[in-house]
Amino acid sequence: MKESEKGMAIEQPLVPTVVEVIDIVDRTPDVKSFFVRNTDGSGLPFQVQPGQCGMVSLLPVGEAMISCTWQEEQEYLEFAIKRVGLLTDELHRIEIGQKIGVRGPYGNGFPVEACKGKDMVFIAGGIGLAPLRSFIKYCFKHRQDYGRITIIYGSRSSADLCFKEELFDLWPQEQDTEVFVTIDNPEPDWDGHVGFVPAYLEELNPSPEGAVAVVCGPPIMIKFVLQSLEKMGYGDDQVITTLEMRMKCGIGKCGRCNIGSEFICLDGPVYYLKQLRQLPAEW
Amino acid sequence: MKALSKGKLTEVLDKLSSQQEVFVPLQKGEQSGYFSWADYQPDRDELMLEALNVYQSPKNVVLPQTERMYGIISQGMEAKIDQTFEDSHPTVIFGARGCDVKGILAMDEVFLTRGFVDSFYQARRANNTIIANACYAPGPNCFCPAMEVDPVDPAGADVIIRDCGDYYAWEALTAKGEAVTAQLEGLLEDRDVKLPSAQPFEMQVDYQGVAEKLKDMFDHPLWDKMAEPCINCGMCTYVCPSCYCFDIQVKMFGEKGYRFRAWDSCMFEEYTREAGGGNPRGASKERFRQRFLHKLEFFQERYGTPLCTGCGRCIIVCPTDVNIARIIKAVKEAEVE
Repeated sequence: MKESEKGMAIEQPLVPTVVEVIDIVDRTPDVKSFFVRNTDGSGLPFQVQPGQCGMVSLLPVGEAMISCTWQEEQEYLEFAIKRVGLLTDELHRIEIGQKIGVRGPYGNGFPVEACKGKDMVFIAGGIGLAPLRSFIKYCFKHRQDYGRITIIYGSRSSADLCFKEELFDLWPQEQDTEVFVTIDNPEPDWDGHVGFVPAYLEELNPSPEGAVAVVCGPPIMIKFVLQSLEKMGYGDDQVITTLEMRMKCGIGKCGRCNIGSEFICLDGPVYYLKQLRQLPAEW
Repeated sequence: MKALSKGKLTEVLDKLSSQQEVFVPLQKGEQSGYFSWADYQPDRDELMLEALNVYQSPKNVVLPQTERMYGIISQGMEAKIDQTFEDSHPTVIFGARGCDVKGILAMDEVFLTRGFVDSFYQARRANNTIIANACYAPGPNCFCPAMEVDPVDPAGADVIIRDCGDYYAWEALTAKGEAVTAQLEGLLEDRDVKLPSAQPFEMQVDYQGVAEKLKDMFDHPLWDKMAEPCINCGMCTYVCPSCYCFDIQVKMFGEKGYRFRAWDSCMFEEYTREAGGGNPRGASKERFRQRFLHKLEFFQERYGTPLCTGCGRCIIVCPTDVNIARIIKAVKEAEVE
């Protein structure tokens, strides 16, 4: 039996819980983090594992599946959301105190147990760092369980880099950890690396021996990163990615987020490359 | 054996209707489908129990074309869900053919298994009784036996009625079936029945091995050829007894409104279009392929049965002569590298 086939006791899985937005943090010009908790301040509507998602709704507007940030002390849920469409545009206009809907947790999450003892290579582009950030935070909380940690992250411009405090101040101070940041094009005040993520990855060339690579970003970046990893000697069972498709129900019923017989909302969104190779090439 | 005299049909439907909502196949003007017997108007509507398949299957009884899910009150920063609309009023589907019953069984798998139970579907389905009408004379587009349906003895029925000329043999098979039978005390008779003999199928379809073979045919050139006439109108998904995909949308009237779901179709470009502009099935061919692979391969892999029931409706309604039986045949005959 698949993990997703085990009984889950949610009485009305399609009906959200109304929560309060307790903080909003600008991450980039078009990415904001929304922090929510129960309206009576009593805690959270649900807990998440790294890589799981929640359906976020502005009740009169719409719903979308958003990766939910894992934290050790689960005092609030954080959703880092890029402004790309009708719902996210409206979400970017709300203020602290707004009541919104959430439901979840959905999806399988990252294989945090299976990765124990491995060197971790996290490769992200743009808002793709949001889901990986949960896994990265989890690794730092359980630092002794994981080997060397390499984080390679890129975005269009320096302004578009998400989670800058963690990238530049917090993560590089962690034990046995290296953080590499790149932007697509040169900028006058940027003295860091310039270039696309796949090329930078090949240049850095982290060894595949005893390592697992976790990849998330725009589809085109994922495609080339996977090619680079293959070239660098990473096997299909050493590469993990997390997918995204349009979703409505989040519980494997409404039909649209399938790749072959898998529903990304329920069976995914996290897959080993080995599993993806068995599916039709629609991801 | 119990039997229902055709002379008493109206009386039986009236009696059942007094206890629960009864959906029967009706011709209503230009349209035909499963409608509430309470809305039957003898001067305008025609009871279609003798017809093989009315235009619409009874899937709307368990999965309405649109259904409200919950009410919303939104006032500035405040937002509330003031009620949910789970509909548990008792219903009977009277006269469903085996193919349509199989469609509902397929939806049971989707909505009631694999982790999450859809509470809206469950509320309806738990209070729904199916009285199936056995088929002895299949139509020219029927191929249900190829899709694991027994037209004479359909699985999933609570009662099976069998047309024996001027009466129906009445066989209750489940507790729900016994319960509706008990409502008809004095209206059913006990008699010896003479069952009709089953006529052969005109169309022969061989689905054996198709799901397995399709695993290696995702990029097969066959899809270009087969998809060429398709205009993605979505008629096939609309009339299909087992197409269940749905959309969730919201409707607000000022500060009040509701979220609802409505049938959707994998034929539509918007169905998988993402906010950022990407679309994994942006091309017509990709959507066409998705529909047939979902029916013939993916659903089989996930739930152990095809998502086609052999009712033939999509063959009849398609404006460009796309034919699922021909596709199955083409897959059978295709050469795979």
